Amino acid sequence: MSTDDTTTGHLQELRRGTVVLGCLVRLREPDYGYALLESLNGLGITVDANTLYPLLRRLEKQGLLTSEWNTDEARPRKFYRTSPAGEQLAGVLTADWKNIDRALTRLTSGDER
Amino acid sequence: MTTPTTPSLTERYVHAATRTAPEAQRDELARELRERIGDAIDARLAAGDGSSAGDAEVAALTELGDPERLAAGYLDRPLQLIGPRYYLDWLRLLKLLAAIVVPIATGAVILARLISGGTAGEAIVDGLSTGLAVAVHLAFWVTLVFAIIERTSRTAPLTTWTPADLPELPAPRQVGLGDLIASIVFLVLFVVALVWQHFTVQFPGSETTPVLNPELWSFWLPYLIGVAAVEVVFVSFLYRNGHWNFGFAAVNVVLNAAFAIPVIWLAATGQLLNPGFFELVGWPEGDDPGGIVSTVVISGAVLIAAWDSIDGILKAWRARRGEFGRSC
Repeated sequence: MSTDDTTTGHLQELRRGTVVLGCLVRLREPDYGYALLESLNGLGITVDANTLYPLLRRLEKQGLLTSEWNTDEARPRKFYRTSPAGEQLAGVLTADWKNIDRALTRLTSGDER
Repeated sequence: MTTPTTPSLTERYVHAATRTAPEAQRDELARELRERIGDAIDARLAAGDGSSAGDAEVAALTELGDPERLAAGYLDRPLQLIGPRYYLDWLRLLKLLAAIVVPIATGAVILARLISGGTAGEAIVDGLSTGLAVAVHLAFWVTLVFAIIERTSRTAPLTTWTPADLPELPAPRQVGLGDLIASIVFLVLFVVALVWQHFTVQFPGSETTPVLNPELWSFWLPYLIGVAAVEVVFVSFLYRNGHWNFGFAAVNVVLNAAFAIPVIWLAATGQLLNPGFFELVGWPEGDDPGGIVSTVVISGAVLIAAWDSIDGILKAWRARRGEFGRSC
């Protein structure tokens, strides 16, 4: 039981940063909170609503996302889109992600150079 | 799009979450929350587990949790009075002020009360209650100021730590707290025994009979109690210093002599013990100056005084050689 809790905690930590990257890449196409939540979870980037909604706000505040209210439907929805700054950050994060992946691959295959 | 049957619940939630938000952000936050709650309710209804719109709304709001906690997450507000950035600054300042201001305030009030003619009891009660009030005020105002800084400032901690702030290592002690306590306990027991032997030893059919010569109370027993009191002061100073030195060793020799020489002289001249006591015990010659009891007392006094004096000199010598860090 406690081993499972430990595993869950470490998995959460490992995935924390990937949610940001997932959002930045996914929101090249504008979308709203709930649809983003569904599609990220559908892709296997598990994220909780209580994490995602405040995160979107924070990324917008940092200028990495832009937003626009869509009032076409009965329920107004806030559509987020990745800004140029967000696009740049996504590039940096992706490169770093690949570096880490290569490093871990070398480490696990025992080919340390 | 489904309209919840009890829209007031969502509206109440939105109101609770946004009422403390800054005016400029309030409407935006409310719209975002309505969207989020509405989508969550729709998702639950679409899942088709047969629950009513009202149940779905309750479930969605339950998942969102405490509205003020939610708002804190949206607005980046701290959910603690003083967070990790300022906690150590707060704690250190509080300790420093409490250590300086509270004793001064307490002492000043006690002094003022005594000067203005109050009794010692009144002075102490007034001093302690003032000290308590000052401590409570200090804690409250310091904490209030830090709580405001926590909410208004986005800067780093108030003080920057450098390795120069590291405290010195505690100097190794030659004289520990255990030595101090053992010495004081022994001296107190000695004084208690002196008084006890005078009042307590009682045989059937007689009054209390002191073991020691009761005439000694005119001078020598109070003198020995006085020497014990000086010893207590001596071991306290020794503990404060932490180390023996030759000054302490010399005083120790003098104190041992001041104790042992009168005891030896009294025992040798037959003035120490109470003849009446030994008659009652049925050992009339027990108090003879050359008898076994006197011999034991004399040799005991010589041994203890000599051993303690030499011990002090040896410890002073070892401290001088620097075996305990600082030599004194």
